[in-house]
Amino acid sequence: MNCLEFRRDKLADPRHLPPEAIAHMNDCAACRTFAAEVDENEARLAAVLDVPVPEGLAERVILRRKTQTRLSPRLGMLAASLVLTFALGFLQWRDVGSQEYARLAIEHVMHEPESFTSTRLADPQLFRNVMHNFGGELQASLGKVRYMKLCPVPEGTGWHIVFETEQGELATLILIPAKRMQAQSEQATVGGWTALARPGGQGYYAVITQSPDTLGKVDELVRQRVRWRS
Amino acid sequence: MIFNLQSRQFDQTARAYSADLYRYAYWLARDRFVAEELVQETFARAWKNWDSLEDFAAVKPWLITILRNEHARLYERKRLDISDDDPQELELPSHDRPGAHLELEQLVEELPPAYREPLVLQVLGGYECKEIAEMLGTTEGAVMTRLTRARQALRAVISEPARARS
Repeated sequence: MNCLEFRRDKLADPRHLPPEAIAHMNDCAACRTFAAEVDENEARLAAVLDVPVPEGLAERVILRRKTQTRLSPRLGMLAASLVLTFALGFLQWRDVGSQEYARLAIEHVMHEPESFTSTRLADPQLFRNVMHNFGGELQASLGKVRYMKLCPVPEGTGWHIVFETEQGELATLILIPAKRMQAQSEQATVGGWTALARPGGQGYYAVITQSPDTLGKVDELVRQRVRWRS
Repeated sequence: MIFNLQSRQFDQTARAYSADLYRYAYWLARDRFVAEELVQETFARAWKNWDSLEDFAAVKPWLITILRNEHARLYERKRLDISDDDPQELELPSHDRPGAHLELEQLVEELPPAYREPLVLQVLGGYECKEIAEMLGTTEGAVMTRLTRARQALRAVISEPARARS
């Protein structure tokens, strides 16, 4: 084996070198240096590719399996008729739960109080990228981002963002994918928190604050400074 | 009884491989929401077809193939076939601060999918070229060529300034 063949093998699969390539490396100082450099780059590459995985992913996969149990054709037909019955009932009941989206957002904030006391991923560019991936383009800054976390939500993962407005007011923005809202907006007040949910991006977003006055201002700010792609 | 065994097998598989599949999906789609959706859809489809899994030892490559097809079906509307034509030399733009984590991440994102995909499978999954070729439905030689060129392209950008400094 010559140096060219060694380097081709090393670049194609740094961790599985054939015996003749290992023998060549042991005899060739230049190829040993080359191999060390490739291994160093490989370690950096592995660190980059090792992106964080959302918490509870495997459990959500298993939960879905449990609700997706394979049925025999007869049981399938029975299940289909039951689903249809419940769906019709749900359509009649749906309006009663019209504050569901906003209320869920408040409950999420109440279960994560550390979002107001800690700083996490407070990077404006990351926030811009997250908004972009969700389907929103920031036209101007919403304020100083203090906390960002990818959180499990009923249909996947959503972003939990806390930012401080230019007026020094704290607000939470939650981006929930996949769920579509029928209404233009939904508002709820629970436990001293108030939230407004609107359709946008890949699903809907909710703004949560501690006072209705602040909520109105932040909602207006988001509407002015974020352009949602349809 | 068979159903219980399959359920246990599935749950073990989900716990063992959902993270790896998520990372693979992320680098395929480059979007965290899409990546999770792809993982969910992959396991849902796998569960529907669990009876057709002949060799449980080969479950991970099987899941990767499903995920790849789901990505093509849901988001690309076309298969992610790797062409065996000899591609042009791959060149990536140089960056002001090469080598830093975010810059390297950006360089990987800039790799064409045909290069990025086998690279992710090898670096994260530890697969050999032959195994990757089977998963992607192409030849071992084509995979070797793409991996060599992908690493050459990354190396040209991240290693040269370091050499120049030294």
